[in-house]
Formats: sequence, C-alpha cells, structure tokens
Amino acid sequence: MSDIGKIRIRVPSNVKAGDVVRVRCLVIHPMEIVQRDAQGKIIDRNYNYITRVTATYLGKPVVAFDLTQSVSENPAFSFALKATAPGPVKVTFVDTHGGKYEATADIAFA
Amino acid sequence: MAGAMTRRSALGTFGAVGAALATGTLSIGTPARAQAQGQSQALGLQESVQDGLKRVFGGRPMKDGAALIKLDIPPIAENGAVVPVSVEVNAPMTPASYVKSIWIVADKNRIPIIAKATLTPEAGQAFVGANVRLGETTDVRAIVEQSDGTLLTAKREVKVTVGGCGG
Repeated sequence: MSDIGKIRIRVPSNVKAGDVVRVRCLVIHPMEIVQRDAQGKIIDRNYNYITRVTATYLGKPVVAFDLTQSVSENPAFSFALKATAPGPVKVTFVDTHGGKYEATADIAFA
Repeated sequence: MAGAMTRRSALGTFGAVGAALATGTLSIGTPARAQAQGQSQALGLQESVQDGLKRVFGGRPMKDGAALIKLDIPPIAENGAVVPVSVEVNAPMTPASYVKSIWIVADKNRIPIIAKATLTPEAGQAFVGANVRLGETTDVRAIVEQSDGTLLTAKREVKVTVGGCGG
C-alpha cells in the first residue's frame, strides 16, 4: 500500500521546439470500486479513487481529467502538449481520501 | 451534515434524477459525497446512459463526428479491468477555436460516464488517453465539445470477455 501515489511520467526524449509531443503518465493507485453486499445493496463508505488529474506545462494548464470509479486500477493517462520552451511538465492527482500526489518531468530540447 | 444525509438518502431512494432535483441543479446533479470532496462536477453516478447524457448535456443536439474523431480502442478486450482508450480529434487547437472537453462514455457500465477531460489550447492537439474499466461488451462513445459549444460524438463496440467492474 505504501506505493500509492507513485507516479511515472514519460516524455519523448527527442523534442524540437514547436513539436506537439505526447506525454504518458501512470500512477499507482487502487481505484476502489463499489462493493455490494449479498442482497446487492451498495455498501456505503468512502471509496478511495482518484477524482481529478491536472497537468501543467511551464505553469500553464494543459489538460484536466475528471474521473470516476470506471477508470482502471493504476490508471495511465496520455495527453498532448505543444513544446514551446524547455521546462517542466507537472501532473497532480487528487483522490477521495484527501491524498494529493504530484510529479514533474522535464521537456528538454535535443 | 444533516442536509447532506438527507440528500444522500434521497440519492438512494430516487436515483440520480431525484438527486439532481433534490440538489436543485439543472443539468448537473451533485451528490453529497462528491460535493463534500470538492468535486466540481458529479460524474460517478450509478445511472443509465440515457439519464447520464441527459443530465450532463441536457438534450443538446449532437452531431456525428465519426469523420473527425479517432477513437482508438481494441475491438476485443480480454480483460475488462484495463482497457486502453484514446481519443484524437482532428480539429484545430487555437485560442479562437479549440476542443474544450472530451467525455468517454461506456453505455452499459453501471457508471456510464467514465471520464471528462478538459483541454486548453496549450495542448496543441486534441488527444487524450486513459485506461478504463468495462463491465461487459458495450458501445464506447467519445463526446467532444468544441469551444463554440458544438457537440460531436463517435462510438465503437468493444467486446469484453471478462468484465472488470465487479460488484
């Protein structure tokens, strides 16, 4: 469980100015799904899953995801961004238990 | 939290539509829990896909965007627990005209409206991908909203051999 919130971000290594690049990121998270009891009734508790993912590049927002429990365990996301200058891509995850995880990756020009 | 409890029990009793009425929002129902957790827009409701689309889009007309939207999903998903879905829209991404949001919807999931991605012109290209769960063989739709409010949709059937949504 201690791995929750571990994030890996992949950016392409060979980037030129003005390129549109695709970034992939993966977070280790259980993304709990609704449990039901024997009668098929939903067990009401605070399920731990990620509700929001935001990505910024050079401090400006690029994409934000609003998620539900229909997203898989250890979710992976990809998105595009236009590389205008070398700088950090920062991805932030927020879950329903108040967890906030973030990681950065640098876009470097070849 | 007394009010919240009432709304929660209303959710259980009347279903999603009742919750939307009880919270007094027009097209976007916000259940007590999502509100308490600061979620801007309630997505994760257990509802039918028709109810969900009506709630989010309020009956706005949708155009067929099959020519513009490239929905990339494996046609057969052996394991419904992890199905990679990616959506690419062949549309300009400039501040004047860009793709504002992309929804991913699986018709037969208990929570049909899976994810919403909000894009900015910084992205340079309207592309998002995510790994989703699919409960059973179902149509998966992508719904794209452009900055002028136009809605485009495309859908594709995915055969699921082992469901991934459990209970």
